[in-house]
Amino acid sequence: MLSKLNKFFSSTKLAIFIFITIGSVSMIGTFIDQGNTMSRYKIIYGAKVFSVLYWLGFLNVYDSWYFILLAALLIINLIMASVNIFPRTLKSVFGPYPSFKEITDKKNPKAVYKSFESGKGIKETISVLNKRLGAPVINKTDKSSRETELYYSKNSILRFSPYIAHLSIIIIVIGILLNAKYGFRSYTNIKVNERTNISYLLKNNKPIKLPFVIRLDKYETEYYHDGITKAYVSTISIINKEHINLLTKDIKVNHPLTYDGITVYQASYGHYKPTAAKILILNLKNSKYKKVVYAQFGKFYDAGIGNVKFKFVPYKNPKRGEIPFFIELGNKRILNFIPLSIKNYRTPLILTKYDDMAFLYEGVKNYYYSGFEITKNSYVGVIWIGSVILIISLFFSFFFNQREVWVRLMNLKDGKKSKVEILAVPKKKFESFYRNFNKKTDLIKKALI
Amino acid sequence: MISANMSILDGSLYFTISLLFLILSFLGYSIFLFTGNKKISKISFFALILTFSIQTFAFIIRWIYAYKIGIDTPPLVDLYDSLVFFSYVIMFGFILLRIFYDFDALGFIITAAAVVVLSFASFSPLATSAIEPTIPALQSYWLLYHIISLFVSYGAFAAAFGLGILYLIKNRKETDKAKKQGRFFSLLPPSAVIEETIYKVVVFGLFFLTVGVVIGAAWADSAWGGFWSWDPKETWSLITWLTYVLFIHAKITKGWSGKKMAWIAIIGFAVVIFCYLGVDLIIPGLHSYATPGSTSVL
Repeated sequence: MLSKLNKFFSSTKLAIFIFITIGSVSMIGTFIDQGNTMSRYKIIYGAKVFSVLYWLGFLNVYDSWYFILLAALLIINLIMASVNIFPRTLKSVFGPYPSFKEITDKKNPKAVYKSFESGKGIKETISVLNKRLGAPVINKTDKSSRETELYYSKNSILRFSPYIAHLSIIIIVIGILLNAKYGFRSYTNIKVNERTNISYLLKNNKPIKLPFVIRLDKYETEYYHDGITKAYVSTISIINKEHINLLTKDIKVNHPLTYDGITVYQASYGHYKPTAAKILILNLKNSKYKKVVYAQFGKFYDAGIGNVKFKFVPYKNPKRGEIPFFIELGNKRILNFIPLSIKNYRTPLILTKYDDMAFLYEGVKNYYYSGFEITKNSYVGVIWIGSVILIISLFFSFFFNQREVWVRLMNLKDGKKSKVEILAVPKKKFESFYRNFNKKTDLIKKALI
Repeated sequence: MISANMSILDGSLYFTISLLFLILSFLGYSIFLFTGNKKISKISFFALILTFSIQTFAFIIRWIYAYKIGIDTPPLVDLYDSLVFFSYVIMFGFILLRIFYDFDALGFIITAAAVVVLSFASFSPLATSAIEPTIPALQSYWLLYHIISLFVSYGAFAAAFGLGILYLIKNRKETDKAKKQGRFFSLLPPSAVIEETIYKVVVFGLFFLTVGVVIGAAWADSAWGGFWSWDPKETWSLITWLTYVLFIHAKITKGWSGKKMAWIAIIGFAVVIFCYLGVDLIIPGLHSYATPGSTSVL
């Protein structure tokens, strides 16, 4: 029973099944929007389809029980397959190495064999063989001195590289699990000039308390001259419990801020209120009277003088050179802005008048908020170590040839000649292996005849 | 006139010129298939080398131009540039195979694929050759290494795809001994050689795919706050990776037949194409480009 279980869990068939299933399940996750709200899904798919998708776990496949089960099964398969073959690999690298006879008895269909007569004695034959095949790992002569066995091995240590590659996958998975347990990924939106120490977990929107307060001092979108966005820049300050400003930094995409192991990334931006025009209202009869109104397009505001109500309106199709907005009063009267140049002022004032009132346009005010992704990436180093090991082990597994050659030499004619038998078993049954074997043995034969 | 000048300045004219030589190479390899004339295959290979050299020159011009107009990142990010680069790596893969192995017959498939990709880049309204400033999410030094490693792997998988087709053709003829082998089949290397080359090319591609995905994860970690977000492109790169990991395991451990491996190489390339183009054109995600009006800036 145990051996059956062992065979099942360590089989390559299972591995292939897992690869295909993980691939297929992952595919589903790319076509069905993941992690949305129930109500949104009901709108997209309708109640019936939604209930089927929900029951199948297709709305959150990467967190589904069967996806986690598949990942666990893959790790079990990987460990068991490695453990089962490891002793054999250990033996093939460090010995005891199989003899010439043991290899021929196995009758491996991949094995290749060549035999010929050497015109030289065993000693000289060995020196020719060593020139072509390198130093032998084993050079064993029997008691009668009639027969010598040689075993050559090239890059045998690299036979561990597939195991190291498998181990690196386990290290990566451990890193991912540690990161999921001890780290977090969250988001928060902060309005300009406001602060918060609350962030919301990406996976379930639950609020968490950060060990510091983040204040958004400024938000700005920078543009290239042709209008394409160059950067989204948020100026943020980190403030501690004692209300001390610890640091202020501009962050943008690809340039986050890390403090106390927590990293703040620029993730989104937006307007929490429509853009408004800053209008300064002056009373021309009373120089002390000043009122600032942040006027949104089309909304009525009180000027504060004589019950005058006004709204700020843009022209739909402004003429060239014309100021593209105007003031409309409650009595439908329209006031056009005009530029007024003043000495020592580079830019003219933009203003309009009505009775004793002056309306000065002083620019626009954007009500920005900035969206931040706030993460604690614990143990992510474990993942990178695993990844580097994976790359290195794949490099050695893929790009270096391994070779095992057994040679049996027998004394002929009182040691003046010898019989040479060469045997090799490839790791992969490749045409080039047999071609190279023939080439090499031909060269050896040529040197010995 | 202005656009002609612009295409000289930004190097795109040279890509168009290279397409002409590429078509010549494709025509040459097509004639070679029917005639088996070695001279024609040599001329076709020369035309391909010329195409490759012109494109190398064009890339240099384009990069310098991008730098001059204030764009620090290499011009590899929009659809036009990535398609051109894709055709470039497809050709590069074949040139290497042609130098190390006698694979003239593969030229027909490879040049056909490169012609399709480069024509799509040059004439599709979806791909414009104007160099646009890089959006904030892509302004990073990780970009170059991420893209190059992935495209090297794509090029290798394209070669494996072509070899897979050759294998199926050759193997069918070899096993069907009643049929006489025609000239075309005699041009193909033995199926055992093709099978081995498919393995070697896939292994090469898988290595660079792994490097590219790891670099991508490291970049995502430093720029977006998470090494993996199950973004469609990320997920499809995992599916691609699993496909070729399956290939390696099936070959080494199970010793699957060459025919099965050839089919995996062909299907694998369909997965690669979906990962490369399908995801961008069909599924939105972090790898799709943000526009100024949208909220997300990643």
